[in-house]
Amino acid sequence: MSDFWKRFSRNRQAVLGLIILCVVIFVAAIANFIFPTDPFLYSKFPLSAPGENGFLLGSDSIGRDVASGIAHGAKTSLLIGLIATLAAVFIGVIFGAFAGYYGGIVDDILMRITEVFQTIPSFVFAILLVAIMKPSIESVVIAITVVSWPAVARLVRGEFLGLKNREFVQACHTLGMSDVRIMLAEILPNCLSPIIVIGSLMVATAILIESGLAFLGLGDPNVMSWGFIISDGRSMLRVAWWICTFPGIAILITVLAINLVGEGLNDALNPRLRERN
Amino acid sequence: MKLTKIMKGVLAAASIAVVGSFAQAQQAGGSLVFLVQPEPPTMAGYVSTSGPIGLLGPKIYDGLVDYDNDGKMVPMLAESVDVSPDGKTITFNLRKGVTWHDGEAFTSEDVQFTIMDVLKKVHPRGPNSFKEVSSIDTPDAHTAVFNLDNPAPYMLRALSSYESPMVPKHHLEGQDVKTAKLANNPIGTGPFKFVEWKKGQYMRLDKNENYWREGRPYLDRIVGRFVPDASTRAAAMEKGEVLYAAYNAVSNVEAVRLNKEKDNIGLTTDGYSMINPMALLEFNTKEGPFTDAAVRRAISTAIDRQYMIDTIFFGYGKPATSALSSNFSATGLHAKMPNYPANGDVAAANKILDDAGYARDGNGVRMKGMFDLIPYGEDWKRGGQYIQQVLGEIGIQVELRYEDVPTWLKRVYHNYDFEMNLNYFYQLSDPVLGVHRHYGTNMIRKGTHFVNSSRYSNPELDALLSAGMTTPDATKRAGIYLDIQKILANDMPVVNLFELEFLVVYNTKLKGAYGSAMGAYASFGDAYLD
Repeated sequence: MSDFWKRFSRNRQAVLGLIILCVVIFVAAIANFIFPTDPFLYSKFPLSAPGENGFLLGSDSIGRDVASGIAHGAKTSLLIGLIATLAAVFIGVIFGAFAGYYGGIVDDILMRITEVFQTIPSFVFAILLVAIMKPSIESVVIAITVVSWPAVARLVRGEFLGLKNREFVQACHTLGMSDVRIMLAEILPNCLSPIIVIGSLMVATAILIESGLAFLGLGDPNVMSWGFIISDGRSMLRVAWWICTFPGIAILITVLAINLVGEGLNDALNPRLRERN
Repeated sequence: MKLTKIMKGVLAAASIAVVGSFAQAQQAGGSLVFLVQPEPPTMAGYVSTSGPIGLLGPKIYDGLVDYDNDGKMVPMLAESVDVSPDGKTITFNLRKGVTWHDGEAFTSEDVQFTIMDVLKKVHPRGPNSFKEVSSIDTPDAHTAVFNLDNPAPYMLRALSSYESPMVPKHHLEGQDVKTAKLANNPIGTGPFKFVEWKKGQYMRLDKNENYWREGRPYLDRIVGRFVPDASTRAAAMEKGEVLYAAYNAVSNVEAVRLNKEKDNIGLTTDGYSMINPMALLEFNTKEGPFTDAAVRRAISTAIDRQYMIDTIFFGYGKPATSALSSNFSATGLHAKMPNYPANGDVAAANKILDDAGYARDGNGVRMKGMFDLIPYGEDWKRGGQYIQQVLGEIGIQVELRYEDVPTWLKRVYHNYDFEMNLNYFYQLSDPVLGVHRHYGTNMIRKGTHFVNSSRYSNPELDALLSAGMTTPDATKRAGIYLDIQKILANDMPVVNLFELEFLVVYNTKLKGAYGSAMGAYASFGDAYLD
C-alpha cells in the first residue's frame, strides 16, 4: 500500500486532483449542516451580487442562494456519478468476463449486443432515455449507466482474452476449479487496475452527462444540481453573471480533479509504467 | 471630453431630424423579421385563441373592424356599421372589391358563414360573443344584417381580426371546421399572404399586392421566427436580427437591460389594452387533490403576488384582487374580494387547511399533487418554482411538469388530465367576452382551448352570468358582477394571481407597428422600415 501511494504521489497533478476531490466530497458531506434549508427556497433578495445580503456567491432570479445550490448540487453530482459508474462497471464486467472467457458463440452474441449500444451517440441516447422515462434522479442514473457500460465490457473482454490461456489459469483448470470461481477469484483480480482507471474517469463523464441533461431541462426538477442552476441562470447571464459562473467552475474543477486522479491511478497501477521515473 | 459629448448631442438631434423626415416618406419595401414565441400549434385563429396564432393570423386575416387606442371602431372589411334603435338589428356595409388571397371575391356570405358556422360553433369565445345572434341576412353581396335576440353591445368589441377573423366559406364549407386544411394553409383577405411555414424555424408571409387598402402594406415581407431559447431571442433583438418582440418573447429582465444599454431599442406597455391579461392557476375541480374549495382558498391566500411581480416580471404587473381584473373598475364592475392578499399570508393559509382537517404527516406534508406550467418560457417556469416552494410551506407538495405546447393543450383542454395548471387568460374588454368562458357550465367544452377546464359548474353562478350578459343598466350590472365575484372568491375554481403588463420590445428602425389597441395582434399594414 505504501508502495502504491509512493507511485501515486510521484504524479504531483494527481495529488492536487485528489486534494480538490476531497474538498468537493467534504462540501457535499457537510452541505446539510452549512446550508440546512432547502436549496430551492426563495428569498426576498433576488439577483444579489456575490457578498450582498449574506449570499456568499450571490442569489438567483427568485433569491435562491447559489452557494447553497452548489453545495447541495455537489451531493447530487457525486452521488449520480458514483452510482451510475458502479452500475455500469458491474454490467460491463459481467458482459466482458463471459464474452472473453467463453469466446465463440457466447462472445459473438454478447459483443453484438454491446455494439448496438455503442453505435448510438451516448449523449443523444441519454437524452432519449430520460425523455421517454419521466425526468427523475432514477431515470438519469439509468440513462448514464446504459450509455456507459459498453466501454467497460470491451475493456474487460480484452483483458480476459489475454489472461484466460495463461499458465496460472490452466493450473486452476487442472485443479478442477469451477469457471465462475476462476473468473471471479483468479482472472478478475488480475485485470482490476484498468477497470479502476476507466471507472474513475467514468465518474467524471457521468457528472458531465448529468449536468448536460439538467441544463437541457431533463434533470429531476425536484433535485438541485449544478446543471439546473446553470440552465436557470443562463437567460440572466448578462445581468447576473454569478448564477452560471460558479456552478460552471464547480463542474470544471470537479471533472478536472477526477481526471487527474484517474491519471494518477493509471500511473500507480499500470505495471508497464512502474519504471517511469 | 465635454466637446465630444456636445457634438454627440448635436449629431443625435440631427439624426432624429433625419428619422423624422423619413417618417413622413413612409418607405415601401423591406422585410420585417420578428419573434413569435412559442411556435403556434396551427394557424386556425378561428378555432384556437392560443397566443402565438394572434401574432401571425391578423396579418393574413382581416376582421370586420379594428379598434383605435380609445376602443373606437375603425372600418376594415365593414365600411360602416348601423345599429337599430332597439339594438337588435346590426347592419354591416361591406367593402366592395375585396378578394381572398386565392382570387375569389369576399362577400356577405363569407361573413354569414364565419359567424354562424365557424365562430359561433368552434371558437373558444365566439359562442359567448355571438350568443344573441340568431341569424344573419344577406340581402346583397355587400350587406350583412345581424338579427339579435337581445341587445349585445359587447359584441361590437369582439370584431377585430384577432378575435373574429373573417374566413373563406369556399375553403371550409361542408368540412369539419376543426380539421380542415385551411388551418395550416391560411387564406384570408389581409395585407399579407401566407407563403411558407418551416416548422421549428419560421413562417414567411409576403405582401398581398391586391390588398384593398391603397398603398398598403408597406412591407414586402413579414417573417415570424421561432426561437425556443430565451437568451438567443434577446441576443437576436440586441443584434438587430429581429426588430420586434411582444408577449414576453424577450424576458422582462433582458428587455429592461436592452432599453437601457441600446439607443435603438425601445420599450412600451402599449398595445395590450384590448387584451387585459391575467395570470392564474386553473384547478381540476372534479378529480385529484384540489377538489375542495378550502384547499384552493388556502393556495390563493398563501401566494405572495407582489413578490412574483417584482422578481419574475421585474415590477410589470398588478396583484389580482378578485376574479375580475381591476381594469373593469372603469365600468364599475370590479370589486376587491377577500382571499387575495397581495403579499401572501402563509399562517392564514395554514389555518384554513388545519380547520378543513388536512393533517400533516411526519414530513409536514398534507397532500401531494402535480403542477403543470404553461410552456410559454422561462418566466413561467420560475413562477412555477416559486409557487412550488410556497405550497411546500403550507404542506402541499407538488411536482412540476413542463411540456411542449400541443401536449400541454391536449392534457388540459382535451383530456382534463391535470390537477393544477399555471396559465394566463385574456379578460378582454368586457367580462362577457373574456371571463364568462372560464366559469360557465355551458363553457365546459372538451377539446376547446382556454375555456372552463376546471369543469366548475354552479347553477346559481350560471344564472348570474346570463343576467350579466343581458342587463344593460350599469348599476344593476355592477350588482350582478359583485355577486359573481363573491361566489368566485369563495369557490375559487380558478385562482387569479396578477394582472400581467406585457412589454413590446422594438427596434426603432421599425415604425407604424405600435400605437394600435391590438398591438402585436394587429395587421402591421401600416408598418414600415426606415
